[in-house]
Parts: sequence; structure tokens; C-alpha cells
Amino acid sequence: MNTYSQIQEVLNTDRTIIDGLPKLNLVILRNITLEPIEPYLRYFAYEIGLNAEVRFGTYDNVYQEAVEENSSLIPSLTDAVLLFTRLETLSWGLAKGFNGLSLTQIQEEKQRLAQYFHDILVGIRAKTHAMILWHGFEMPAYPSLGIWDSQIASGQVAVIHDLNQLLKDSLAQFSNTYFVDLNLIQSRLGLSHYYDARYWYLAHSPYARESLSEIATEDFKFLRALKGKNKKCLVLDCDNVLWGGVVGEEGLAGIKLGKTYPGSIYYEFQQTILNLYHRGVILALCSKNNPEDVWDVFQKHPDMLLREEHIATAQINWQDKAANLRQIASDLNIGLDSIVFADDSEFEIDLIRKELPEVTTLHLPSEKAFAFSDELISPGWFDTLTITEEDKIRGQAYKAEATRKLMYSKATDLESYYRSLELVAEIRLADAFIIPRIAQLTQKTNQFNLTTRRYSEAEIQAFATGESYDVLSLKLGDRFGDLGIVGACILEYRNGKALIDTFLFSCRALGRKAEEVLLNCCLYVAKTRGCTAAVGFYYPTRKNAQVEGFYPSQGFENPLDIENQGKSYQYNLEKFRKQTPEFYKNIVFDISLNMGPK
Amino acid sequence: MSVNEGIRQRVFTVVSNVMGSPLDSINEGSSPDNIMGWDSLKQLNLVLALEEEFGLFFNDQQIAEMLNVELILLTLDEALQAK
Repeated sequence: MNTYSQIQEVLNTDRTIIDGLPKLNLVILRNITLEPIEPYLRYFAYEIGLNAEVRFGTYDNVYQEAVEENSSLIPSLTDAVLLFTRLETLSWGLAKGFNGLSLTQIQEEKQRLAQYFHDILVGIRAKTHAMILWHGFEMPAYPSLGIWDSQIASGQVAVIHDLNQLLKDSLAQFSNTYFVDLNLIQSRLGLSHYYDARYWYLAHSPYARESLSEIATEDFKFLRALKGKNKKCLVLDCDNVLWGGVVGEEGLAGIKLGKTYPGSIYYEFQQTILNLYHRGVILALCSKNNPEDVWDVFQKHPDMLLREEHIATAQINWQDKAANLRQIASDLNIGLDSIVFADDSEFEIDLIRKELPEVTTLHLPSEKAFAFSDELISPGWFDTLTITEEDKIRGQAYKAEATRKLMYSKATDLESYYRSLELVAEIRLADAFIIPRIAQLTQKTNQFNLTTRRYSEAEIQAFATGESYDVLSLKLGDRFGDLGIVGACILEYRNGKALIDTFLFSCRALGRKAEEVLLNCCLYVAKTRGCTAAVGFYYPTRKNAQVEGFYPSQGFENPLDIENQGKSYQYNLEKFRKQTPEFYKNIVFDISLNMGPK
Repeated sequence: MSVNEGIRQRVFTVVSNVMGSPLDSINEGSSPDNIMGWDSLKQLNLVLALEEEFGLFFNDQQIAEMLNVELILLTLDEALQAK
């Protein structure tokens, strides 16, 4: 990790590169001095390929800047508003003069602050749909009433806990709002590394340098997810990572894995990995071993928490790991930049850093095995803004996909293979249950994404209920399991035409012509809405070259260049007829047919 | 008494990084009067960076006194000797 000084050096040296990156517009409303956090925010943005512009509201003007209609601090195109409302400044009584307050006064303060939260959120939402990250209140390390504080219902800790709950309740009334728990950061760093009393008195700057770094790290877990830059897949080495020792040399009974030391270190690390699996992280193996030795451990070792069923794909061989990682990315149909690669060997880590710089690497030196779990979890690489049902079954879905591929390789022709899958597609308009998943798809889908527009839940909600939009989704299943919602489309109706604002598909659902099913339904909806033409757009990015020819292949014509952006294509709806691949077992089109023009 | 050349150069580097001014423009005479953008907030960043660079903590009075490079070098010398 670079020092504070080195970070600023990088920002200075690379200024022209950074200036050319896509913007990340951040606004900070605060009642403390927080400017020293700016280099960390800009640096972490640079790490994920973004140029952060950080605008600070004036000191202790949170309410005014949020509520005042004419304030220019928060433009509507802001990506995120970060709120820091320190209790010492907000309510001296609750923070410092607690013992002098009566129960009634405490109650009044709580009510006043609940109103304050609400007013500010209303004020910000009148200006922008941007993500809101509100940093909650820290617990006092030494409550005003000493040990008695924990014995009563209205102690200072209990009251501050209530305040955080009131804040969470307020946030829950708006979408795209998140509570950032500073108590987590305080407990990670410890009190003496969290606050810096000198700067609090000198400059109203309460946080130590380490906390500023840690707070920025925490905020970037949200911002990474917002920008679809979080990781999807963890690729693991085996020997000295999943267990201690080398199975090829020490044998099944010789490796260190179990409930007692030293095997307990690896047992617990496997639990951490399994927890990631259960929130939707894809697991893969990349190990230099004889495959049968590794699978022997997975199948026969009594203390293996990870089982074969959790592993989506594996490259266990003696080839170089860069080639193996490429193969894993291709098997799973994900980008290399969605991968975290963990290995105990410095050689392998260095190789991947050089050969595949897009891959995030995690070096796990065996002499620090006790810290593996923290090393893996603390960066928050895999954190997501919501955990949907699709996430919980993702591991199974990828495993099922591997089985499908095996069948595919055995099938004599494509048609019979498709038929054997017994595909079922369900197309419907977005509702409250689907909206979070659609937003997530717009944030995460890179390859099969025609326009790569990232939307928050609130924005999808606005489209779904909007006058001139339709949001459609496609859910796919087959005999191997439910893939969940894998495709989405946003239609905008303008001047009798249907503009396809967004058309995307999760890569793991490709190869079944489901994208054609969804497009056909979109055109059908557009025609039913009274449109004469549909307009598709292709905006090239570094990753979506595979869809460049999508619209022409679907009967779209008249390509037009859109300056510096991409191409548009027209589809004449006069000639449209509804057609779907015959090999689908069932296509459910759950959209009311008697809808009129929009 | 004064700090050695190695330490002086490290201080100049930190000042240059934090203020975003070229290293060769920083010397003992550098101060908010002749370095663009050296305001009270950058001053805070500067002290944080120096503390990390040299692995020490200044007390609040020292921080309040470190107003230009010459005074920073004097204070640093004092803090390093007390370390």
C-alpha cells in the first residue's frame, strides 16, 4: 500500500491519464473538516479506472445545501452524495452533555434529528437520484454514565443506537440510499487509530489518517458496486491455500485441515470462501497438481467444507496459470477483470500480474495463513449493493452450465441439443420484485450490453412507472435449473418510435437464442404500443465487441453513425411478425395484450 | 543542529507531492507565500503525510507552528531527537 504522500505523487504524475478517464462525480456534505480524505477517494477511483471529482459542501452547512432549492453544489448528474454528520456538531447534548439531559430532552433531540434526516433526504432527492451514502453515528468508547450506561434502557449507547436506527428508517424511505457503518471501521482500527484528537481541536477534523483511508475504502465498496466494478469470481490455488501442505507429497491424510491447529486455520478459511459462494461469488480452482489428487481431497477428506458442487470450473494441470486463467474466464464466460486470483506462490502471483494485469491478485503467503480470511474479505471486492435470489443460486447455475457444456459437446446437432435442454423463457414487465435485479444487471453486464448504461434501482423504478417507457425482463430456466432473470430491455417511446435505450443479457445465459426471444417480444410490445419503427443503438466499449453485429443480424437496417458514440439501426415494425425459436419448450409472455399506445 | 540531507530531501519530496509542485521548486524557503495552493487544508494533508513518512506524531503545538518548510525542518529535528 502506498503512503499518503506517494498516493498524492501518483495523482500528480498521472494527471493527464486520469483526466482522460470517465468521471466519478462525488459531493460531500459534512459538518466536519474532511478535505484530507480527497486524495484517498481520487486514488481509489483511479484504481478502478475512474476520474473522481470531489466537491465539498461548506463546513457545517449540510442542511442548507441539501434543502436549499438554488444550491448548485449537487448537480443532477452526481454519482454519489456522501454525508458526514458528526454528532458532536449536530447535537452537543447527546454527544458530550448527555448527563445533563432529561428523558424528555433526549426524546426531543431524537425527534429533531429524525426530522433533520428526512428533510435532508427530501432535499437531495429533489436535486438528484444519485447514490446517497450516509455515514452513521459512532458509539462512544466511554459512555457518559460509565458502567451504568449499559444497565439502563436510555443510556448514551442505547440512544445513539436508536439514532442510527432512525437514520436507517429515513434512508429506507428513499431508494439508492445506504447507511455506512462507521462503527465497523472504528472496531477494525481500534479507538486510538480511529480518532485524532489533535486535529479535532486544531481543525474540526476528527479522523486519523488511517481512518480516512479506511472510510474511503468502505465508501468504494459501494461505489465499485454502483459502477459494476466489483468482482464475480474467486479462483483458488489448492495446496497451502485450501489446506496446509502439498497433497501430492503428503497424501490425503497428511495435509493440514480440520478442527484443531494447524488445520483449523484452513478449515476456517474454507468457511469464509463458502460464505462468499452463498452470496453469489463463483468459485474456481487453478492448481498445479494431478487432478485426481485434488478431487480425492474434495470427495474424501472428512473436514473439507468446500465440495465439488461448489466449484464451477477447474484447471488442475501443470500448464502455466495465465493460460489456465484465460480458460477459466472463457469457460465461465466472464471477463478477466471480474476475477480475483488467490495463490500462496509469489512466482504465480507475479506471473499473473505481468501476463494478465486485469486480474486482481491476492498473495497468500503460508507463514501468514492465520490472516487469509481478513486478506480476502477486507478489500470488499465481492460486495454487492443487494443480495438477490439470483445471487444465492448463482453457484449452482454455473455448475449446471458446465454440465450443459458437456452435453453440448456430446450432442450431434445444435437443434437437438437445444431441445434436450427443455428451455423455458418468461418475459414480463418490471415490477417491484424484479427491479433490483434489473438494476444489478445494468450495473454488472459488460459483454452482451448494447449501450452499457448503468442504472440504479431508483432509475429503473422511474422507467418502469414512467409515461413513455417500458422495462422488460426475461427469466430463463431449463431442466438443469433456474437461471433467474438474465436479460433486460428498456424501451423509450418518442415520436412514434421505440428507442431501445438498453438491451442486455447475462453472459451465462447466451447460446440459447434467448436474446432473440427477448428482442422479438420487445418489438412486439413496441408495435402494440403503436410504434411504426424501433431504433437500436450500439455504443462500443472495450468489452462489448461481440454485440456489434447484433441488430443487423436481427433484421435492423439503415445504420447511422452517431458522432463519437456508436451506431443506430432502424427496424420497420410494419413488417414485424412474432416469431420465436421452435426448440423452446415453453415461452411465457406475461404482458397484458390489451395495452394501448404510450 | 539541523536534520541531515537525506531527511531534508524526504521532506521536500513530501511537500512536493502534497502541494502538487515540482520537486525542484521546493527548498527551505518554501512557504504558503510562494507555493500555489498551500492553504490551511493542504497544511493538514502535509502534516499527516510527514507523520506517516517519519513514523512519528507531532503534538498540537508543533503542528500549529509548522507553517513553512524551514519551520517544518526545525520541528522535525526536534521530534526525531525526542523519538
